Parts: sequence; C-alpha cells; structure tokens
Amino acid sequence: MGVMTVRRWAMLAMAVVAVVACGGSESGGNTTGSTITLGAPLGLTGSLTKESTLTQQGYNLWLDWINARGGIVVNGVKHPVKIKYYDDTSSANQSAVLMQKLITEDKANFLLGPYGSAATATDAAIAEQNQIPMVEANGAAQSIFNQGYKYTFGVLSPANKYLQGVIDMAATLNPKPTTIAMLSADDNFSLEVANAINTYAPTKGMNVVLFKKYKNGATNLAAEVQAAKAVNPDIVLNSGHLTEAIAINKAAKEQKLNAKIFAYSVGPSTPDFITALGADANFVYDGSQWTPQVKYTPAFYLTVAQYVAAYKAKYPSLGDPDYHVAESTAACLALERAIENAGSLDPKKVRDALAALDVTVFFGQIKFDSRGINIYKPMVVEQIQSGVHHTVFPADVADAQPMYPTPAWDQR
Amino acid sequence: MADFVQLVILGLLAGGVYVAVGVGFGLVWGVLNIVNLAHGSLVIVGGYLTWQLFTTLHLDPFLTLPVDAVALFVFGYALQRGVINRIIRAPLLFTFLLTFGLNLIVVNMLLLIFGSDFRSVTPSYSGQGLELGSIVIPYVRLISLGVAIALSASLAFVLNRTRTGLAINAIAADRDAAQLVGIDLRHAYAVTYGLGAACAGVAGGLIAMIQAITPTAGEPYTLQAFVVVILGGLGRVSATVVGGLAFGLVEAFGQSIPGSGSVFANAIAFSLMVLVLVTRPQGLLGRLR
Amino acid sequence: MIVRGDSDRRWRRIFLILGIVVAAYALLAPLTSLDAAQSAGVPLLADRLWFRIATFIAMFVVMATAWNIIGGITGYAAFGNVAFFGIGAYTTGMLIAKARWPFLVALPVAPIIATAFATLIGLPLLRLRGHYFAVASLGVGVAVGELVQNVEYHGQPIFGGASGLFLPIYSIDNRGLFFFYLMVLAAGISIAVTWWVLRSRFGYGLIAIRENEEAAAVLGVNTTAYKVAAFALAAALTGMAGGIFSQWNVFINQDNAFPIEYNVQMILMALLGGTGTVFGPAAGAVLLQLLIQFLGGSLPISADIPFVSDAARPIVAQVILGVLLVVVVIFVPRGVIDFFGGRTRLSLAYLRRSLRETSL
Repeated sequence: MGVMTVRRWAMLAMAVVAVVACGGSESGGNTTGSTITLGAPLGLTGSLTKESTLTQQGYNLWLDWINARGGIVVNGVKHPVKIKYYDDTSSANQSAVLMQKLITEDKANFLLGPYGSAATATDAAIAEQNQIPMVEANGAAQSIFNQGYKYTFGVLSPANKYLQGVIDMAATLNPKPTTIAMLSADDNFSLEVANAINTYAPTKGMNVVLFKKYKNGATNLAAEVQAAKAVNPDIVLNSGHLTEAIAINKAAKEQKLNAKIFAYSVGPSTPDFITALGADANFVYDGSQWTPQVKYTPAFYLTVAQYVAAYKAKYPSLGDPDYHVAESTAACLALERAIENAGSLDPKKVRDALAALDVTVFFGQIKFDSRGINIYKPMVVEQIQSGVHHTVFPADVADAQPMYPTPAWDQR
Repeated sequence: MADFVQLVILGLLAGGVYVAVGVGFGLVWGVLNIVNLAHGSLVIVGGYLTWQLFTTLHLDPFLTLPVDAVALFVFGYALQRGVINRIIRAPLLFTFLLTFGLNLIVVNMLLLIFGSDFRSVTPSYSGQGLELGSIVIPYVRLISLGVAIALSASLAFVLNRTRTGLAINAIAADRDAAQLVGIDLRHAYAVTYGLGAACAGVAGGLIAMIQAITPTAGEPYTLQAFVVVILGGLGRVSATVVGGLAFGLVEAFGQSIPGSGSVFANAIAFSLMVLVLVTRPQGLLGRLR
Repeated sequence: MIVRGDSDRRWRRIFLILGIVVAAYALLAPLTSLDAAQSAGVPLLADRLWFRIATFIAMFVVMATAWNIIGGITGYAAFGNVAFFGIGAYTTGMLIAKARWPFLVALPVAPIIATAFATLIGLPLLRLRGHYFAVASLGVGVAVGELVQNVEYHGQPIFGGASGLFLPIYSIDNRGLFFFYLMVLAAGISIAVTWWVLRSRFGYGLIAIRENEEAAAVLGVNTTAYKVAAFALAAALTGMAGGIFSQWNVFINQDNAFPIEYNVQMILMALLGGTGTVFGPAAGAVLLQLLIQFLGGSLPISADIPFVSDAARPIVAQVILGVLLVVVVIFVPRGVIDFFGGRTRLSLAYLRRSLRETSL
C-alpha cells in the first residue's frame, strides 16, 4: 500500500514536470485569440458507454495539456480550446443529430469522432455535407474511407492490420504454428479484420482451417469454441469486442480448448479483461494500436512514458491507458498540428493540412493516405503475462519475449 | 458422435440460464398479464449484487444467490406495490410503456453506481469440469443448470402447494372473482412480481459467472425471455423449463452450422418462435388460456 | 367529463389555435432559409440543425401514425414495425447504391415492397391475438434485420452485409429543406390516410374488430382481409419513411435501419398522444422527440440539472426520461390528446380520477 502511494505521487510529480517542461520549452505567441471549439457526440449512456468513456478520457487528456500551454498557436496567436460533448445514447441516428448541433449551433470549428463504426459512418456523411473536417480515432473499418469523403480522417491503423501482427509474430516462433481457427463477430469492423487474415495467413505459410461468424455482442459462444476445438488449431483468433473476447476465453477454459496462441483483436488490451478473468487472462495476445511500451520519438506533445504518467495522474484508479485512450489523444494531436500548419482556422485549409500531415507523436506516425486513413503506423502485439500487459512484437518495440507456446489449461 | 453429444450437453447447460431468466418473466406475464420489459435490468441487478459480494466479502458466488433472491424480492414487491399496481386496469400496452420506463431508470441507476466497466465473477474453480472421455462438463455451468431447475421446482412448489400460490393461481384465473373470495389483490400482485424479480436476481447471479456484465447487458435477455416463454407455452413453470432448454439447444445447433450459419442463431430462434406461435399457440407443452 | 362546460370549449379552441400556429411555423420557417428570403433580409428561422431535428421528428410522426392504424384503430399491438422501416430503407438504398436508380424513382418502390412483405407475414401472424401477436411481430422484426445483414450469395453479401450501404450524397440545392418537406409530406399522407380510415366503412370494420372480433365477423366483416389490409397500410407508410431515411441519412446498416428501440418508441408516442385518433400519435411523436432532444441537449434551449456533475449529467437525463414516462403512464393513461381535444382539462381531479380508474 505504502509503495503504491509513493509510486502514485512520483507519477503525479512526473506528470506535472512533463506538462510544465513542455509548456515552457515551446513558446508560441503571447496574445490570446478566439476560443477554438471542437465537438464530439459520444455514447455516454447505452451499450457503448465503456468505450466512449475511454475515448473521452483521451480527448480530455490532450485538452488539459493544450490549455495549460495557453492553446493552439495560429500565426503567433494562442487560441484556447474547448471540447463540447453530447450523449448520443449509443445511437447512430442520434449521433447525426448531435453532429449537426455541434456544427450549426455550437459553431464547432472542427469535429472529433464518435465511438462505433455505424456512428462514424453516419457522422462522416454529415461532416462531408457541412465541409467541416472530422478527425476520428475509433472507426477502423475501411468501408468508411472508401466513399471518397474528403473531410474524414482516421488516425488509427485500418481494420485489416489488426491481427496481421499476430501472424507475423507467429511466423517467427518455434515450433511454428500452422493452423488457424478464425472466429469473428458479424459487424463491419470485425469482418474486415477477419477477412484480412483469410488472405494474409497463407502468405506466411499458415492455413485458416476454420472460419466462423457469430452474432455481434454474443455472450454464449460455447458452440463456436466447440467447433474450434474439433479442428485442433495451433492458433485461435477472435475478431470481436471485449464481451465476446471474455466469453470465448471462459468457454475455451471450460471446454479445454488448448492452442499454442490465443489472440483477440479487441478486448485484452482493456484493463477490464484482466479484472474480469483473473489468472485466466494470462498468455492471451492481442493486436493493439498502441501500448505503453512502444518506442517512438515524438515531434511534439509528451513522450510515451510522460503520457502514461499524465494519464495515471488524471485517472489515478484506472491503471495504464489502453489504446482507445491513446488513439483518441492522437486524433486531437493530428488536428492541433494541422491547424498550426495551416496557420488558419479555415475548415478547407485545415482539411488540406490534414491531408498533407506527416508527423510522429507518442502514438506513432500520423499520415493519411488519399482516402484519409492512417496506413503508415504499424500495429503491435501485446501479451498478458502474469496479469500485466507486455509488448512482445515487433521486436524493436517489445519489452518482453512472447511466452510461447501457451500451456494447456490444466498445466497452468 | 462425441461431438454431437457434447453439443447437446452444451446446449442444455446454456439452457439452464435461459430457464432461470424465463421462469420469472413467464410468471409475471402469465399471472399478472404484464410484459415486463424491465426483466433484463432486474437480472443484471442480481448480477451486480453477486459481483459485489464476491469481490468485497469474497463469498462463494453460489452462496450469494439467496441474497440476490431476497433483495430482488423486496425490490420487486415494492416496485409492484408502489408503481405498477397503479396501471393494472389500464389497457395492456401500458404495461409495455411503464416497464420500458422502469428499465431506463434501473439501467441508468446501475450506470451511475457501478460505471460502465465490464465485471465478471471468476471463482477459483471457474473453468474446471468433469471429463468423460472427450466430453467435458464445466462445473459452473452444471451447477447453474441445477440451480435453475431447483429454482423452477421451488417456484412450482410455491405456486401449487402454498396458500400464497393458490392466491396467485386464483388471480391468474379470474382477478375479480379472486377479490370476491377475499384475496388481497394488491399484496398478491406484489408477491407475484416479487417472486418474478427474485428469479431474475438468481439468474443474474448465474450470468455474472459465465459472462462479463455491464449495466446494459440485460437487454438481450429480455428478448430471449420472450422466446423461451413462448416456446414452452405461457402459464406453467414446467413449460418454461422445457422452453429454456429448447432455446439453449436451438442456439447451440444454430451456432454449430458451419461457416457463417451461426449469425442466424437469433433469426432461427425467432422464426421458430413465430412458427410455434402460429401453429401451436399454446406452446410446445403449455395449455391455452 | 360528464358536462362539457364553456371553459372546456374555450380550452379546445386555444389548443386548436396553438396546434395551427405550431404547424404553420413548422411549414413556413424553412422558407426563410431560401436564398431569395435571405437576400431579402428575412431572419433565418430554420438552420441545418433545425432541419435535421424537424425531419427526424416528422419521421417519427409517420411511424407513430402508421402504427396507430394497426395498433390503435385495429387493436393489434404490432411490436415489429421497425422491420417495415428497415425494409423500406434497404429497398430504396439497394436501388440507389447498387442499381443506380434516381432517388425519386426508387422511393415509391419502398412502400410497395414493405406492403408485400406485410401481407405475406400478416396472413399467418394476424391469426394470433393480444400478446401473442405482439411477440410474434417482434420476432419478425428481429429476424428480418439479421437476415438483411447476413444473407450471402456465393460468399458475397447481397444487401451490403455488415458494411451497410453507402448512398451517394443527394445533390440538390437546399438539401435540408428538400428532405424536410419530403418527410412532412409523408407525415401529411399518414395523417390524411388515418383521417380517411376513421371515416370509412373500412375503418368502422377495423374498430369493430378491435372492440369484439367475433361479433365483427358475425356482422359480416371479413376480419382477415381487414386486418391484413390495416397491417399492410401501416407497413406502406412506415416503409415510405424508411425509404426517405436511407437517402437523407446517406448511410444505412442494421444498427440504424432496424433499431429495436424504435419499436417501443413509436408505440410510446402513439399511446402518449392517444391511440385511435387522427392527430394523437403525431402529437405524441412531436412531444416525446422534443423531450428526448431537450434532455439530450440538442435543442437551442437546454436546462442544467442542479447538483449533478458533468460526467453524470447524461445518465441522470436518462433517469429523468424514465421517471417522466412512468409518471405520464400512471397519470395520463388515455394520452395527452384528451387535453388538446378539449375532452377534458388537466386538473388535479383528472389526475386523481385516472389514477383511481387504472389502479388495482
């Protein structure tokens, strides 16, 4: 307990130093300009509350930092920032109403993304019709970016990259795993993740021997796990969300489904996965947009270590930030830098600056392809080892070796 | 063959939870004529109670089930007595609206109290099970099925062998006649709803062990309770037991269809329900009221 | 209730005038957004947010009014009407996104397909009564949404699959105004149809079915044909709203074209306003949506909730919405149309009476 408290104070102190140091080193203009209004509808109630809350934490972390420095510097003038949030009750249709509210009524200069692919797709159309740039961090489905929209930018790696890192890692392991059972939820994002593995795995000498779709949000996946057990795969991949990841892991233990690798697209990176499953969470891999262990040299804002410290200082009871938080902060950073580069608050100029953006921050490289999605940042692979997240792949950012192969359930 | 047997076992075990969710829903529907859209949220209240007792007092989750039942009974009794009794003589659909509003209140109160984190109860024996050759029977699910059957049996006992049960049966048969013979309707209604809520609470305790819960996790269970109750037939506890197990089997076999077949598990279950309704409205086992 | 006094008549007149004023404002305000009006210096009364919310409300007016035909007038509690909305949305959406039809040509197909579907499932389903029909229609609503998202042919999703359908953004000047008037037209048609139904032989037949189906059959009403026709009519109107929605919203998928919660919302609106009446469901839709939008903070006027932190505010708003619903259901079980229609007046005595009437 005593150690915890000391550590917490140390982190707080670090965070304060970090903020002060950054604030002091970069001196922009001294005059204060108009307030820049950003806005985002989020599912603060309803079924997407958890993920939306993480998104909001990421946005707020940056907000505190930028306002501590006086705001975004545009042509030597500091513009303080405020972010307006609304609750879309996890409904995509309500998200559209609130997007319009932000644009029309609140005169939001720029938009931040909602959570969820249906809401992101709907809001992208609103941003397009109103010609206001939207930088989003939580819609990785590429279908959104294949519509030729000019005003939507996603800072995160697209869905098809999510589990490719796991395959790349598996190819380096000994004995090399060769068979894959792929389970996938039937939503937009999860299917893109899963389908990409179908085509990618054979190029690394692995075969998808089972491909099963299940209902998004399913809580009973016993029969799916049974089907996976019947093909005795080396790798069990799940492409879904936290709910399904927990259900599959519980069922896998109950039904003695043993594989050398269990890897899930979304879920294990969230602290809830470990608190819900306890020791059963160990050995599980996930494909992650970001981990607290990645090593990037930021051009501005905090380093990775400072970022983690700042998060822990602001949310002391929540542990390490997960990638939902980091990517949401990264969306703000992309917008900030684009505004600075544009030297203007004009939506069109900022849009062009976003399209031309190429900068590395604690989250990795942010650069958009012609469709507006960030295909340049690699995904990393995490593994839960003894109740702690460790980055295990690629080797140059890893802080631990993969614990491989995963022991059978009765030998843990 | 072993695969087939395993699938049947998994389906029946999963059905246990559906039985537990269904009996309370069916009781309230069959006796009080209330379609309780708040049922799923009551289930999750039970889930959070079990989780809270497990994490703070380190109680065995199965030992928390009686606590869930008593707490939810009291809550349900008060809810019926204080609120729902006020609209019993209104047209049927109004119970939809009232319970929809109650659901909104309960879910968001849970969100205020517990936040949106995913919670799950994972005791030390979680995931262990009996192994018979290649067939596995997980303990937690097996005991859950046992609890669900015991719950249904006790409910049937209360309904058929006690004075309270006789009063409940009487109001199900004819409300006004029941009042004439001296049954305190307000109390009897509240007891019935309380029993339904108690069953929901126990179901929630079981659910917290087999999945992760959030304040909104109860909504699918309300939907599934419809199917379970209709499949078995409204009005008898034993029919709901059959309905719940049948639903578990349908789901398991639906999911075992190769390829993308399993995404239709819900569509299959609901289509089956519609089919049952159209061809045999009294349900697989039930009697027509 | 028994004696309708002068004051009641006065109230009725006041509400009528109020209704006309609101309707006139809703219909005329959009005109101020036209270039001609703007260059003439007319103050802008309808911005893009106004259009978005008003179109949304009009959409619910259509759904609630359409539900009223089967649920209120005929007395069959349909719980899966969102299936018709989704079918309408996907019909128009497919024709535009895949077959490249122009929107206005694709739109009329939506109600046709929805009607055909309703007739097909109505024949078996409408043999069921009461809760059984409600549950069966709910099942159909859920199943259709799932099928539309997942049906494949040769490994390719037929209806856009999980990615949904992206429609090209409709290029027309004053887009907001166009879709608003289109949706209002649909709402007007729904109300007009209801008005006609309630005055026709057909409508008398439906009411007879609601009051006593056996008696209606004895009196020579072809109950099956009447019920299916009412169901199909509701489906056509709801499907039309779905068709407009698809092009207006640009993107459709299972989440936003088949939202299960709309099943409850449209019934809520009809009951709130008063079932079986011409204007009740529309009034209920406007009131409930305005309430939801007010609590959600999207209206120009908003209220702070005292003693509540920013983080808890949206959650508390949902609790308040729930409490309001409960209170309204308990105290106003015949819907607010009672007040507007001048049939009664909001008074303590009225509240006490309704409580007594419905209480155990």
